Amino acid sequence: MSRIALGAIRPCMEGAIPAVMATCAVDGTPNVAYISQVYYVDERHVALSFQFFNKTRQNILDNPHATVLVLHPVMAQFYRLHIRYLRTETAGPLFESMKAQLAGIASHTGMAGVFHLRGADVYEVQDIEPLEGKGLPAPPPRCDLLGAVRRCSERLTDATGLDGLLHVVLSTLSDTLDIRHAMVLMLDAGTQRLFTVASCGYAMSGVGSEIEMGDGVIGVAARERTPVRIMYMSNAYLYSRAIRSSMHVDAPELALQTDIPYPGLSEPHSQLAVPIVSAGRLLGVLFVESPSELRFGFEDEDALVAIAGHLGAAIDLVQAATESAEPVQAGAPPRISDGDSLQLRRYAINDSVFINDTYLIKGVAGAIFWKLIKDYMEAGRTEFSNRELRLDPSIRLPDVTDNLEARLLLLQRRLVEHSPHVRIEKTGRGRFRLLVSRPLQLTDISS
Amino acid sequence: MLDRGVSVIVSSCNASLRPSIMRAVGSAITADGRSITVYMARSQSRQLLQDVAATGRIAVVFSEPSTHLTVQVKASQARIRDAQAADEAVLQRYLQSMEREIALVGYGPPLVRAMLAHELDDVVAISFEPEQAFDQTPGPKAGAALPPTRSGSGA
Repeated sequence: MSRIALGAIRPCMEGAIPAVMATCAVDGTPNVAYISQVYYVDERHVALSFQFFNKTRQNILDNPHATVLVLHPVMAQFYRLHIRYLRTETAGPLFESMKAQLAGIASHTGMAGVFHLRGADVYEVQDIEPLEGKGLPAPPPRCDLLGAVRRCSERLTDATGLDGLLHVVLSTLSDTLDIRHAMVLMLDAGTQRLFTVASCGYAMSGVGSEIEMGDGVIGVAARERTPVRIMYMSNAYLYSRAIRSSMHVDAPELALQTDIPYPGLSEPHSQLAVPIVSAGRLLGVLFVESPSELRFGFEDEDALVAIAGHLGAAIDLVQAATESAEPVQAGAPPRISDGDSLQLRRYAINDSVFINDTYLIKGVAGAIFWKLIKDYMEAGRTEFSNRELRLDPSIRLPDVTDNLEARLLLLQRRLVEHSPHVRIEKTGRGRFRLLVSRPLQLTDISS
Repeated sequence: MLDRGVSVIVSSCNASLRPSIMRAVGSAITADGRSITVYMARSQSRQLLQDVAATGRIAVVFSEPSTHLTVQVKASQARIRDAQAADEAVLQRYLQSMEREIALVGYGPPLVRAMLAHELDDVVAISFEPEQAFDQTPGPKAGAALPPTRSGSGA
C-alpha cells in the first residue's frame, strides 16, 4: 500500500482530463473504457459516473475490482487507483453534485445531449499507486485560501447584525479571493423558495428575487444540502429569465407584477453554490459565479464551505440575540410629513405591497411592512421590535425558527432601492425604527 | 484513426481477475490492418506486462480526444518484445500526432511530452491481432460490436 492520501491527488479528479478504467469479466477478458468523472467523495471513496449500460457496468456488477488511471492535469503525473465497487446512488447529494458537474463537462466537450448520469457508482479506494515518469513542476501552492477563511472568521465574530455578517462574507470574497460575482439567498421555509438578501458584482442587486428549491445550482445545493460546482457553461443549469418571469404568479387573476429579476450572469462559465446550514437546518445558500471557465476548484469549494459554516452559525446567534429584545412602547408622535403623498396598496391575497404602482415586496416581508405602516398610521408608532413581530398573528411567520432578521433586511433593502421616502433603520439589537417623510394613503385590497 | 496516432490505453487482467491498465507511449498498425503494436514504458506497466505475458489477453482503447471517436479492440494472443532502435521513428511520429490531437482540446506540447515521456531501453512493444472490436464512442451505439473487416481499418 502506498502512503499517498486521496486528498493529495484531488487535482486529478476535477474532470479536466478524462480518466480511464479497466475491469475484468468473470471469464478473464479485460475491458477498458473512458470515464467522464472520477469524483472525490472522501479520503477512502471515489464515485464514478454511470452513464451507459455497457461492458464496464456488466463487469463491475460481476467482479467489483477495477483499476483507474488518472493524470495530474498540470504535473502530468500518473496515478493508478485500485478500487472496489460498493454501490450505486441514483438520488441525493452525491448524485446531484455529480450530475451538475457532468452537465458542465458534457456541454464543454460537445456531449450535452449524450452524457446523462444514471447513477453515482461509489467505490472503496484500496490503493493509490503513483507511477514513475517525467512530470512537470508542481503549480505554486495556493496560500490565499486559508488566510481568507481566517480573516472572514475574525470579521464575522465582530459583526452584530445580519447586514454586517453578509457584508463581511461578500467583501471577503471580492477583496481577498477576487470573486467578483456573489450572492446570498435565504430560505423561506413557508414557500420553500430562496430569496436573495445580498449580492455583489451585478448591475441590479436582485434583492428579493426568488429561486425554487431544486432550480439550477442554487436550488439543487439547497434541496440536497450539498455544494454544487460547475466548471463550464451548461445550459442545463442556467437560470432563464424569460421562464422565471412568468412562473408562479400567486394570483394570476390580479396580474400582479411581483417578480424581481434574478441578478446573476446570463452566461456563467463557472458556478459554485454552497448551502448555509446551522444546527442541521438549512438557512440559505452562498453562491458565486464567474464568466471564466475553471474558475472555482475544489480548494475554493473547501474555503466557501468553511465560510458558509461560520456564516450559518453567526446568523443563528444574531437571530437569537434579536429575539430577546423587549417590545417598545410607542414613542413621540411622528414628525409631520409633507410633500406629495405616497399611494400604498396592499393585496391581501399574497401580502404584496405596491408604492405608487411600483411593486415593493410580498409574502411575510409584505405582511410585516403592512403591520408597521398600519401601526404608524393608526397609532403614530415608529419604534418596533423583532419580538412583537414574531408574536403578531397577522404576520404569520412560518415557524419559530424563521429568519425574521433576513425578512427585515430584505424589506429594508427593497425600500432603499425603490422608496426613499419610507425607510427602516436599526436602533439596536432586535429594534428598529420606521422613518416616513411623505404623507401616506393606504388602500387594502382584500381577496 | 488507429493509424494516425491517437490516445491509446491498454489493459489486461491477472488470474485472480484483477485488471491492470496503462497508457501507451506509441502505437502502430500494419498496412493490411491485421496487426496492431502498442508501446509501453516498462517501469510504468509492470503489472500489465506480467498479465499480458501470463494470459496473452489484452484490451486496447483508441480515442480521438477532439471528437470522442473511440474504438476498443480485444485479443487473446498478444506478444511482448523489447523495443528496438527501429521503433524510435514510430514513437516519434506518434508523439507528434498526439501533440496535434491534444492541442485540439486545449493542452500544450509540454503536457503531452511529459505524459508520453520514456527511454527507448525501457520501452516494450506488445503486438496482437484483434479478434473483436467495439464502437465505444459515447452515445446510443456505444458498446456495439464492429464487423471484423472494420477492426483495423480506422473506424
